[in-house]
Amino acid sequence: MELTERELYTVLHGLILGTLFLLAFGGGLAGLWSLRERLLTTEGLQERTPRLLIGTGVMAIVAWLTVFTGTFIAYPWYRATPPEGIDRADPAQLADFPRYLLLAQEKTAQWHEFGMEWKEHVAWLAPFLATAVAFAVLYYGAQLARRHEIRRAAIVFFVLAFAAAGVAGLFGAFITKAAPVG
Amino acid sequence: MNAVQTDTKPNGPVAAAFLASGIGSLFIGIGVVLNEASNTIKDAIGIDFNAFLQFDKSFGFGAGVGPLSGKVGLAIIAFVVSWIVLHLWLRGKEVNFGKYFIVALVLVALGFALTFPPIFRVFAPAG
Repeated sequence: MELTERELYTVLHGLILGTLFLLAFGGGLAGLWSLRERLLTTEGLQERTPRLLIGTGVMAIVAWLTVFTGTFIAYPWYRATPPEGIDRADPAQLADFPRYLLLAQEKTAQWHEFGMEWKEHVAWLAPFLATAVAFAVLYYGAQLARRHEIRRAAIVFFVLAFAAAGVAGLFGAFITKAAPVG
Repeated sequence: MNAVQTDTKPNGPVAAAFLASGIGSLFIGIGVVLNEASNTIKDAIGIDFNAFLQFDKSFGFGAGVGPLSGKVGLAIIAFVVSWIVLHLWLRGKEVNFGKYFIVALVLVALGFALTFPPIFRVFAPAG
């Protein structure tokens, strides 16, 4: 039993960072949702604000780490071009060239043409959106409970960040199954 | 500009951050479209956006990443620069946050839409 260097990176990118992202999203969303002055005492507000900052901050940091590792480490492996002499129409020769392996077969071509083409771009919306939310929490702290409009906007952006990352994560899992980079 | 006084900090800096994230999102979508339509644009005005977006070859930004390096590079620059400019412009100000948020949301929606393959392929040359 062993993992190659590439498998380790894909585990880091998809599984470890993805799990952290999910945990941070759950905690952050629950914190933002319940951060209402009428539901909380002053002490309660002070107690939960640092946790909310950690949840939103971790989600933003993890979103950046995930897109950077995905784009600059795993993606070049995915799109590597087969050298001269390899038949790009023969899947048996394309195990080390996932993009070309998917495109070589009609039944898998859409994983690249739709799945990967969407995933590689839409994922980048997540860190922008999550960073704005983390900044709002950092800037206002406990005062965010009195800023209903901003709290609601933060929830919307937080969910959109999760949706963007969710699309990328889902297609990433399917594409890795169809044509692993390892 | 709304000058409402509140018992909390002014909301300008948060409006700036939300708007900047919308701008960054839109730039991802614009990069995708420019790359997809690069042949058409090259034929029309002579600018090769596919070559321009290959920051990995031009600047060594992400070896082997191809045009995606330019798309994300430009989007990160747009996000950071617009955030700094908007922050300096809006700091200390109480603004109509709802309007800024709607604009940011529209920009994000455009970014989402332009990264969706059935939409950005509309800009690809026929055939």
